[in-house]
Amino acid sequence: MPDAPDSLLEAPPCASDPAQESLVLESLPKEPAFRHSRLQRLADRWSHLLFLACGLLVVALIGGILYFLAARGVGAFMPLAGNTDKILTLKEVFLSTDWDPNSGKFGILPFIAGSLSVTGLALLIAAPAGILTGVFIAKLAPGWMKTLMRQVMDLLVGIPSVVYGIFGLMVVLPWVSGKWLSDSPAAGFAVSAAILAVMIVPTIVSLSTDAFESLPLTLEEGSQALGSTRWQAIWHVLIPAARPRLLTATVLGLGRAIGEAMAIQMVIGNNPQWIALMRQSTDQTPILRFLFTPAATLTTELVQELPNTAAGSTWNNLLFAMGLLLYLMTMLIILATRRLGRQRNA
Amino acid sequence: MKSSSLVRAALTALLLAPAAFAQTVTVMGSTALGPLVKKAAEDYMKSHPGVQIAVSGGGSMTGLNQVVSGGCTIGISDVFATPDQEKTGIRNYNLVIEPFTLIAHPGVGVASLNAQQAEDVFTGKVNNWKEVGGKDQKIVRVNRPTSSGTRAVQQQTVLHGKEFSNNQLVQDSSGAVANTVATTMGAVSFIELDFLNRANGRFVGIAYNGASCTKQDVSSGKYPLFSFGHAYTNPAKTNPQVLKVAEDFLGYMLSQHFQDTTVLKAGYMPVAYVKSLKTKL
Repeated sequence: MPDAPDSLLEAPPCASDPAQESLVLESLPKEPAFRHSRLQRLADRWSHLLFLACGLLVVALIGGILYFLAARGVGAFMPLAGNTDKILTLKEVFLSTDWDPNSGKFGILPFIAGSLSVTGLALLIAAPAGILTGVFIAKLAPGWMKTLMRQVMDLLVGIPSVVYGIFGLMVVLPWVSGKWLSDSPAAGFAVSAAILAVMIVPTIVSLSTDAFESLPLTLEEGSQALGSTRWQAIWHVLIPAARPRLLTATVLGLGRAIGEAMAIQMVIGNNPQWIALMRQSTDQTPILRFLFTPAATLTTELVQELPNTAAGSTWNNLLFAMGLLLYLMTMLIILATRRLGRQRNA
Repeated sequence: MKSSSLVRAALTALLLAPAAFAQTVTVMGSTALGPLVKKAAEDYMKSHPGVQIAVSGGGSMTGLNQVVSGGCTIGISDVFATPDQEKTGIRNYNLVIEPFTLIAHPGVGVASLNAQQAEDVFTGKVNNWKEVGGKDQKIVRVNRPTSSGTRAVQQQTVLHGKEFSNNQLVQDSSGAVANTVATTMGAVSFIELDFLNRANGRFVGIAYNGASCTKQDVSSGKYPLFSFGHAYTNPAKTNPQVLKVAEDFLGYMLSQHFQDTTVLKAGYMPVAYVKSLKTKL
């Protein structure tokens, strides 16, 4: 430990080559040039402990939240202490589309399907748009525009989701409904996915810009030397070369999208019985019905019902189980991202 | 002389400090009732120095959950406690009448619905405004979430216990409902009367059964769209001294003076209006 600061003093600040560094270390005299005072060393040790505590706190928090969700959520399926209500089977919860807690029907399939649908649609819009914007910023835009676009993307990330929601509720919904739906309400997957796409595009753009910028210039030069046009170079060389990192960008966008609640719940219509409603109604073609039926997702249902249900009731426990499901889905996505990242490095 | 009086003052302060500390009444629950209770608490604390009343929100169910577990002294709620919660021995006070009203987008062309029509609109038996005397415009129902107290009141009073149509938009707060009704063609909903008073024409009220929310129509039972704002205490889990203060405070809120002035001004109605009605809401 004591000789570490000396190496900092002696070694040139840019010496990153480990071989060179060890040479410098070996040539040093054994006795350090100066000693830290007792106080400094004490401060060093305590700050070490402080950092360790902070790190452990984060781990404890993640574990704690998982435990909290599981302890309450499992109560919906098992008789646990503090659980005053009836016990559900996994089948009637995960394989039923019927959600009507007041009459004891607890099928959460509509919420799972809703979450997947809205996230999938959002990615369908955001991934191509984001990746192409990434290509533009990294390879085509002039310098001033590159800076501008980067800053705009950072700003977009910073806008609170509730602002997107208000914009959707007050502007987009009335506009879509008046323009295309002859004044039927526009709430549903289409508008929610569009809003969600706007929210995750910045994430995808900045990650894919990095991906393209980190590609060796030789790839582009080589393909152009072989006579390819700019478009051919981008489509056949750059995008395939960056694919693992683009995939990571998309999956991170997915992670952000699936957990979003505030903006979506303002525009999606929050109708838990959307699957039944879609089956009954015959107004429009199926695809339009899917896009514009007021629906619900895991997150929106949590936001809507959690404050109003009695603690310990089946309903309340099941909402915690839904939270747990969401948590596990997000964890899975993050693990997938890490795996993709490792493949890239290998 | 002087110093001894100082000492005495200090001793009294020391003796009183724990007592004063013990007289902190905490109120939690309904965000709808919160402002009224907060106003009452301010007035009450002015006339009762040494009493502290802290009011916070959280929602009706939070208020009930907390008062049952002893987490607060008074739980305020827009709905009755569940049977399970009542078994714990909590005590109900009906504080005020919360009047509700039907509202719609201004373009629907209907100013009044009778009880049957109103029921049909929300159960989905009727799907176009022209079937109840309005324009040729699809009916868009805007509801609160299944667990909402307002929705429970609506189901009981407007739908007479029948099920809501599943063709609906759901918004989790009265403010969001008001916004949705104002911006959605053909929208109809059920909301606290106070929101209609502040609508500025963005949405319109619909008279129910030819009656409007006035003192006469409410006390005669002609206008049934209301619920009670409740306060619950938990004698089993509260320090008796604090409980006494809490009960005195609730007594103040139920006093004729408070009911006839502050309650009316806040958009609620005195509970005395329905004293004669046999009603369980």
